[in-house]
Amino acid sequence: MMLRQRETPDSVKAGMLSVMVHVLLLGALLISFNWKTTHPVSIAQVELWDSIPVAQPAPAPIPEPVPEPIPEPVQKVEPQPVPEPEIKPEPQLEIALEKKPVKKQPPKPDVKAEEARKKLVAEMRQEDLKNAPKETPKPNSDAIKKLQEELLNEDKAVGEQKATAAKSAASAGVVDEFKAKIQAKIRGNVNKTLCGDGNPELKVEIGLIPTGQLSGAPKLVKSSGNSACDDAVERAIRISEPLPLPSDPALFSEFRNLRLTFRPND
Amino acid sequence: MNASSDMSFFTLIAGASLPVQLVMLILVITSLFSWWYIFIKVATIKRAERDAESFEETFWTGGDLTKLYEGVTAGRRKPQGMASIFEAGFKEYIRHKQQARMEVSDVMEGSRRAMRAAYNREMDDLDAHLPFLASVGSVSPYIGLFGTVWGIMNAFRGLSNVAQATLTQVAPGIAEALVATAIGLFAAIPAVIAYNRFASSVDRLSVRYESFMEEFTNILQRKS
Repeated sequence: MMLRQRETPDSVKAGMLSVMVHVLLLGALLISFNWKTTHPVSIAQVELWDSIPVAQPAPAPIPEPVPEPIPEPVQKVEPQPVPEPEIKPEPQLEIALEKKPVKKQPPKPDVKAEEARKKLVAEMRQEDLKNAPKETPKPNSDAIKKLQEELLNEDKAVGEQKATAAKSAASAGVVDEFKAKIQAKIRGNVNKTLCGDGNPELKVEIGLIPTGQLSGAPKLVKSSGNSACDDAVERAIRISEPLPLPSDPALFSEFRNLRLTFRPND
Repeated sequence: MNASSDMSFFTLIAGASLPVQLVMLILVITSLFSWWYIFIKVATIKRAERDAESFEETFWTGGDLTKLYEGVTAGRRKPQGMASIFEAGFKEYIRHKQQARMEVSDVMEGSRRAMRAAYNREMDDLDAHLPFLASVGSVSPYIGLFGTVWGIMNAFRGLSNVAQATLTQVAPGIAEALVATAIGLFAAIPAVIAYNRFASSVDRLSVRYESFMEEFTNILQRKS
């Protein structure tokens, strides 16, 4: 063969060694390399965005109550003490001054306390009538009553509204506002000429991620019956990226799956 | 060629196109042979050096040359290396000596020629397979590169059919193709290292043989 005579005794051993070297190298390659690639596509599909709204509700409730309580007491408590001295005639200033502390000491009275105060007010009114019979007592007492009632109502309202109205007003208002913004932005991009003459209506479901991008293809829930019109709306949704979203991350859950109704010719 | 394709070593090889697979096969066979020759050469050169060492020791410790000659030729095995040079030279010397009319210079010339011939045979055996190793070292990277270029050409041709080109569409093809270069380099690097090492070993042995020839000629000249 290709071997010299003197090399034949070594040939078998050398051949075995040669095969062994290759097997060793192959083994080293298989062990040291991570041949299984982790494909990035699946990484993009991980529900990363899900965890953010869940993690953030803790800080989220803080901003909500903050804007509400501040304006309410400022608006409603202050204006009333101001008109009082203006409306009241001069002779009754003393009485008015006396009554005010009485009213304000029990700011959140029970029903009994209310009745007691009404009695007290009535007594005072009679005294007033006696003390100053010829001047205009009735409008004064009416005004005082109204003020009292208003104050009471406010006390109650402040307590109740703080809890419920704050949240509903803030979130519902903002969510509706941004839903309208999204719809308006998409509407602006729809090619209306493709939707014919009638008034077609179609419903589309879109998924959003917190950046305002679409998380997937828009899903047609209810077709308008005109496929060109459907396509026009879908294109408009894609063009409109990124869609406007509220800056508050807690509200994003409202936008993850949006169902929008379009009437392009409306 | 989607992103989720399995990139294991075997699927890379199995997924390659036929020319690339052929190139890989050639390279693997070449690599096996070159390693085989490397181990054979390591053994034979080591033995030749050991033989030269022991022969020089017995030769220079003195003693009768005729006895040494008988000892060398007595073995069943054909003498190798320095022993074979000594055997050829001394046999020629004795043969000429028996023809009484020969001049000294002719005797010396004859034995010298015989030693030169034995030396050439020895060198031929020592040099065996070195050209193969040199060829593997210089050519197999090119063979591997050919396979890689072919594979990448295919990968990019597939890319021209799609509208949106992404890296995931070419990456598997390029990875397949690069395996060919890797195998080529794996065959070439040991071959080059072995070639250089064996060439220097053979050079040193040949210098040793030549100086022995000169010295032995001098001894024979003194004897006659």
